[in-house]
Amino acid sequence: MYKTTGFFSFALRRITGVALALYLFLHMWVIGSINQGQAAFDDRLATVQQPIFKFLEIALLAAVVYHGVDGIRLLIVHYFNVAEYRRSLFYAVMVVSALLIIAGGLPMLMFALGGH
Amino acid sequence: MQISHTRIFQLQRLSAIGLVIFLTTHMVVAHYPPGHLDFSRVIERMAYPLWKGIDILLLASALVHAVTGMYMVITDVEKVGRYRQVLGWASIILFTVAFIYGTITILAFRLPAETVNLIP
Amino acid sequence: MATNGTTRTVTIRLQRFNPDVDKKPVMKEYTLEITSDTTILDALEQIKATQDGSLTFRRSCRHAICGSCAMNVNGRNTLVCNQRVNAHLDRKGAVTVRPLPYLPIIKDMVVDRTSFWEQYQRVKPWLVPPDDVPEKEFRMTPEEVAALNDAEKCIMCGACYSACTVTAVNKRYIGPHALLKASLRVLDPRDTITNERLIEISGNDGVFRCHTIFNCIDACPKKLNPTQAIETLRKLAQKREAFVAARKERQKSL
Ligand code: FES
Repeated sequence: MYKTTGFFSFALRRITGVALALYLFLHMWVIGSINQGQAAFDDRLATVQQPIFKFLEIALLAAVVYHGVDGIRLLIVHYFNVAEYRRSLFYAVMVVSALLIIAGGLPMLMFALGGH
Repeated sequence: MQISHTRIFQLQRLSAIGLVIFLTTHMVVAHYPPGHLDFSRVIERMAYPLWKGIDILLLASALVHAVTGMYMVITDVEKVGRYRQVLGWASIILFTVAFIYGTITILAFRLPAETVNLIP
Repeated sequence: MATNGTTRTVTIRLQRFNPDVDKKPVMKEYTLEITSDTTILDALEQIKATQDGSLTFRRSCRHAICGSCAMNVNGRNTLVCNQRVNAHLDRKGAVTVRPLPYLPIIKDMVVDRTSFWEQYQRVKPWLVPPDDVPEKEFRMTPEEVAALNDAEKCIMCGACYSACTVTAVNKRYIGPHALLKASLRVLDPRDTITNERLIEISGNDGVFRCHTIFNCIDACPKKLNPTQAIETLRKLAQKREAFVAARKERQKSL
């Protein structure tokens, strides 16, 4: 593939996008257990709160944040004539998402490790 | 009816903006600070009709965004091009079914009668 | 070839493919004396003249205007006639030249550009002016000319088309070169088939297939901006009817 920052952001966007779409349906399935009553809901919710899932949720957060921030970059490119700053925009997206992922992920990591 | 790419694009942009607003709200309110979740915690919020409304909007944005996104990803492949009309209709059906199911789920969060007095 | 003194020895790595013999393209290395002025095209000519007469590539004008010599140098698409070898040497003193990626190779550096031209024709790259041509000239405002964003400078070299990730997997996509040309015609106040053009470019294979990867800008040897042209067309496609009506108004005072 023709490797540029643009391609890299595109690849990440696609991968996170497909992953998030699949997750959305998983999420709906988990929450949907409320239709079978409160007990079934608590049961299924407990299943997806085992330690391994707590770590996976950090990856989920990372995917959501990257996809979202990258999307805002695309909106900026669409509405303003800024294609010449494409590289700076790409790095800005990387930095902003990294900061947000750290800010959001740290409490999650502590919770996953410590338990409360 | 032809599947219009201009419409897909507009739907995707609109739902993207919806997601930025509602998904951020959802993640901050429902999942922060991280803690153990069960029915009693979820119902604290879901007992309010306003939250049900916000969650239905979130559901709609997320589904529109996911379905249009998947459609674009799949039809980007040249060979799939000739099935795009079918895929378009499949997407619409998938959206409708998932939206109905999701809405039923959201509305199913009702307080059991005996715990009503827990809500201030 | 102009020289200014010092020569140096470099390695030129070429991707070779002879459809009669090879199943797959192979890389071959050639050692060459160059000066600081030697362009990559000069180097290719030199190899062809002195080392391997079977080396095949397209070239014509040698000064970056005909668009026939676009190739992939060290992973980036560019014209080779205006690029010096010196500027592209890697740490080991070598430069790698391949044909334009994602297009069928005919031989060595020569690729099959059929899809490129087919998509180009599809957008009707010519101007369709109003029937009654004024006695002297059409008058466009400076703003209208500026909005064209130099798109008429395109030399049709194919660098952007072949760099685009979308065309790589989907040859039905109209492609950055043709969309740039479409924007040139759509934005031209003299054009009379704007409505038709906008319908075509907003269809299944048009502007909404672009995923804003920017490879076309990176590749363009003329520093044009197909991405922005596509974004402009996206906006116009969404308000097509209003735009076409405004165009009709505008043409009354051309
Ligand atoms: S030979 Fe004409 S553009 Fe390079």
